[in-house]
Amino acid sequence: METKKIFCDITKCVGCRACELACAVEHSATRDLFLAILESPRPKKRIDTQFIEKDVFQSIGCQHCDDPPCVEACMASCIHKDKKTGKVDIDTKRCVACWMCIMACPFAAISRKAATENKALKCDLCPERECPACVDSCPTRALYHEARKDWAKREKNKVLIKK
Amino acid sequence: MSREKLKDKASIKILEARKSEGMETIWDRYEAQQPQCGFGLLGICCRMCNMGPCRIDPFGTGPQKGACGATADTIAARDMTRQTAAGSASHSDHARDLGHTLIAIGKGTVQGYSIRDPYKLRIIAAEYGIKVENKKDNELALELGERVLQEFGKQDDSQLTLSKRAPKRQQEIWKKLDIFPRGIDREVVETLARTHEGMDQDYKNLIQSTMRVSLADGWGGSMIATEVSDILFGSPKPIRARANLGVLKEDEVNIIIHGHEPTLSDVIVTASQDPELIKLAKEKGTKGITVAGLCCTANEILVRRGIPVAGNFLQQELSILTGAVEIMVVDIQCVSPGIAQAASHFHTKVISTSAKASIPGVEHIDFREDNALDTAKKIIKIAIDNYPNRDKTKVIIPKEAMDLVAGFTAENIFYHLGGKFRASYKPLNENIANGRIRGVAGVVGCDNPRMGSGSSHVALVKELIKNNVLVVQTGCAAIECAKEGLLTPETAIEMAGEGLKEVCKAVGIPPALHLGSCVDNSRILIACTEMVKEGGIGKSLDELPVAGAALEWMAEKAMAIGWYFVASGALVVFGTPMRISGSQAVYDYVTKDMENITGGKWAFEEDPIKAAHLMIDHIDRKRKALKLAPMMYTQSYTVTGHLPSE
Amino acid sequence: MKDKTFVIIGNSAAGLSCIEAIRENDKDSKIINISQEAHPPYSRCLLSYYLAGAIDKERLWVRSKDYYKDFNVEPLLKTEVASIDEKNKTVKVSGGRTINFDCLLFGAGGSAKKVDLKGIDKKGVFYLRTLDDADRIRAMLKCVKDVAVLGGGLIGLRAAYGLSRQGKKVHVIVKSSHVFSQILDFESADMIRQELVQNGIQIRTGLAAVEILGKEKCEGVLLDDGSRFECQLVIIGKGVSANIDLLKDKVKINEGIIVDDYLRTSQDFIYAAGDVAEGYDVLEGKPSVNAIWPAAVRQGKIAGFNISGQKTIYEGSCRMNSVDFFGIACISFGIVRPQGSEFEELIHGNLSKNIYRKIVLKNNRIVGGILVTDVEKHGVYMHLALQKIDISDIKDILVDEYFDFGKVIPLIKRQKDSFTRPEYQDANSTYTSIF
Repeated sequence: METKKIFCDITKCVGCRACELACAVEHSATRDLFLAILESPRPKKRIDTQFIEKDVFQSIGCQHCDDPPCVEACMASCIHKDKKTGKVDIDTKRCVACWMCIMACPFAAISRKAATENKALKCDLCPERECPACVDSCPTRALYHEARKDWAKREKNKVLIKK
Repeated sequence: MSREKLKDKASIKILEARKSEGMETIWDRYEAQQPQCGFGLLGICCRMCNMGPCRIDPFGTGPQKGACGATADTIAARDMTRQTAAGSASHSDHARDLGHTLIAIGKGTVQGYSIRDPYKLRIIAAEYGIKVENKKDNELALELGERVLQEFGKQDDSQLTLSKRAPKRQQEIWKKLDIFPRGIDREVVETLARTHEGMDQDYKNLIQSTMRVSLADGWGGSMIATEVSDILFGSPKPIRARANLGVLKEDEVNIIIHGHEPTLSDVIVTASQDPELIKLAKEKGTKGITVAGLCCTANEILVRRGIPVAGNFLQQELSILTGAVEIMVVDIQCVSPGIAQAASHFHTKVISTSAKASIPGVEHIDFREDNALDTAKKIIKIAIDNYPNRDKTKVIIPKEAMDLVAGFTAENIFYHLGGKFRASYKPLNENIANGRIRGVAGVVGCDNPRMGSGSSHVALVKELIKNNVLVVQTGCAAIECAKEGLLTPETAIEMAGEGLKEVCKAVGIPPALHLGSCVDNSRILIACTEMVKEGGIGKSLDELPVAGAALEWMAEKAMAIGWYFVASGALVVFGTPMRISGSQAVYDYVTKDMENITGGKWAFEEDPIKAAHLMIDHIDRKRKALKLAPMMYTQSYTVTGHLPSE
Repeated sequence: MKDKTFVIIGNSAAGLSCIEAIRENDKDSKIINISQEAHPPYSRCLLSYYLAGAIDKERLWVRSKDYYKDFNVEPLLKTEVASIDEKNKTVKVSGGRTINFDCLLFGAGGSAKKVDLKGIDKKGVFYLRTLDDADRIRAMLKCVKDVAVLGGGLIGLRAAYGLSRQGKKVHVIVKSSHVFSQILDFESADMIRQELVQNGIQIRTGLAAVEILGKEKCEGVLLDDGSRFECQLVIIGKGVSANIDLLKDKVKINEGIIVDDYLRTSQDFIYAAGDVAEGYDVLEGKPSVNAIWPAAVRQGKIAGFNISGQKTIYEGSCRMNSVDFFGIACISFGIVRPQGSEFEELIHGNLSKNIYRKIVLKNNRIVGGILVTDVEKHGVYMHLALQKIDISDIKDILVDEYFDFGKVIPLIKRQKDSFTRPEYQDANSTYTSIF
């Protein structure tokens, strides 16, 4: 099975950051926007909306790499790539906050959690949801949760339609 | 799903039937919008200038200031202030048009209007300092109309005339805070100016502006609209009618009037009774013409003429989806663009009438006072002509239609409570003081798919009356409760707590009183003022055992209403909060600190039962402060108690 | 059916990843894993956390209990390799057993560099390299108030940090003029030093210990400026030397064991990986011993692929280190103190917030960098460096606060072939379609 991860169609992303908020809320204790902003520590997003150039944006998080540098770098051996799903997960309980994974990630997709609990943090593809919160939240439907071959197919079709 | 909270049986019936036919409604579109933008919900997206839009990250990792340096506090308060100004502008512009109609009557350039309450004309004219002796109605109408319009453009720093009605202490507070409403237009313009880029940035100062612009609505625009409507179209008297989609008739020409102004609806009601038009309708094989109201238009013609109510805000599309409506005539406010799409499935024609509110895909017939009756007849004729196009096989009219009593006003409540011979607020105040009635609660406002699609009002009112709180209602909340039978003595009295039940039975009124449309919230201000005047239950509005709620608020108008009650010393409960949650400072200021400033404050609670108890606790605190007698029948009705009727 | 015998010497990062790589291709051949330590595989890098009491022993084990069974490996723990006979392809181990092998991975790691100091044999003087070292230190911590740490590098300061977290008064003696002289520049090192000092760790630079005082037990340290202080514990962290003695004169050796692109030593059937190997350093442009966990894992893995017949090239690595003291994170890679006019430095610093970003360029290619506090984007820079991307287009925003991966997207389009990871193309695919 090929890794399903989150793809962003840059042509549709308007940089609204809705995915960031949905992500933070999904990873909060209360799962409610109005209550999540009152939590301490405040929940942290794992996806980032980035400015590429004028009027071009993207939302990007963990790429769940085929050959993940973070897995190799983790000296506590708490990051693993699931053989079946291809998902790269951090066993937060074992994380010692050495930031070796941050050191190695080519996409800056791993961040440090709030000071009270020093742990590495990244996209976990919302294990409790059928579809990750960011994908569901995207008002322009720019985000997709799928395997690379499906994404490529979609892109190819788009080009065909354009022609 | 938002639709699951919808409780109204008639609505559910239509929705289920039409959903299977692939017709889209407001609930579908609301669901399609989910999840909605968190920055917007929290009020921390600022679009005031072209350096923006700027957003504050509520989780603290991203930017905490806009490009200009505005914090979440500034952004949230500034946006709320602007929204309130828009709400205030809506009611006030509605009032201005009524002022123009008054002048037109004075000049004799109207068709189909007259002064229906000359007595009130004189009282209000006198209040405005006009000499009323030996003057004809027309002369007074002209003079009062001009005086009223002056309130809008007034430039001096004196207070609005009707705001002088407020209790002395409220006026003192306003003077101290410098939030006296001066000119109605001026307050709106000043608020817009203050919220411009680079202007007012201190949230406390901005909220001062919010309060002032809202007071210009409550004790200005809205109050003028109520009083002038009473003069023009008659002061309401308790009247029986029916509400819900079941008022539409299978075998009659069905006309729905939707919007807010009584000017249009009143004359259409008149025209619909024209014998020639009725004859024409019968020639088309019908049994006659049915006119039904929707939204606040419904309330205007309900309380004055007993016209049936087709439904509230969320039923505007559903009424068309019955397939039995020949024409829907709309004027201003709360008219959803979705009705045009709904109408496209059927023969229904939608006609807009206000130059200020045009809807894409909808026929427009300009409505003016000088040929109002002709226009109304023309519209009715269009409806009659459209009847043969009705596809009877597609018609679904739900059976549901509930009896109700409406038409209470600040003036006639005491008439009823006191009886013919001792018409005063004394019986109300006495029954509050002796613990038979706990207090008075306003349950008003919109119906909103975000909340219960109307059902929260019903749950809230039931909980309040069960706890012996007399409820006063306006707007779509009143219609929702009417549909559930809460506005008719026969069914509602039994749901009330013992004390309230005794009073309602003795007087013959329901425990929830329908006071009219959303501008008629001003009637609640006046009623509260009368309670203060009568004495014994508080020397100012903020001392009264009263509270208000608009749990399902939707329109900016609701914010203006809420704020003028808070600025006048009341507790106001909204279901979902105004868009200020992204600023802890603003949130705390309006929900906590405000009580020490105006005596009123905001609370936000989505659960109607919890909201009811917020209000009850507030009323109890006021009762305690006033050292009123303990409640007569508290034990038998607790939160978990069962309704006698269930 | 494959019936070879592979001997893996060392059961840390390199050895383990080598075993796992072999097993991806070859489920049947015999694998024998020799380690001189008695413990199941553990992470040496976690010892300072263990010392600090931040983690318990359970969390040191980096593989499951059944690891050797699951991977069908014969473990020879607590076993010394006596000799390697490269001619007959045999290994002789303690106890006299001789093992024939078809291929051998030499991942023996390193040992603490020994120092020659008067009084070094006294009780309470330790190197910190193995779990046994750590356990011995932990056992005596109760009776320790003051600690001397000799050395201002990663081992020394991590130990100092750990012991300070245990409530000990720690004195760090550093011979160089600043701490972390191997991995940071003066500015960033000073930020870390100040943070440590503010949190109660005493750091004395430009000094060396000349004698450990006391009778039997360590009681204090005498420094070369004549001053002395009391302490009951001395930890020596003066670096690591590769354990290459077993292969001396048998394969080509420089500073470490010289390996080719496939991590083969000068003997075809002997591979080397981890702290003993002198793998290619992409940023230095020459082979170098990078005694770091990620490089060891990578090298072990590549060696394992090659051992099991899957020809794989080791693309090289670079030096990289990460520390976090009292919540201040600092990560650096490659060349951080460049010497020469061909280098260019881009620096952004905010001392009051402990923020520091420095990127070293050579011919508009990144060759090194240091990030303090704001470390999240470290990997972005490092991979640009490793792939030798021409960054002239984004040079002016490279050390900007708002630099992020998004700014790299246009480069992926323009220098498509240099970005080798497929994930780069995933991120870039729709961007390419815009224009």
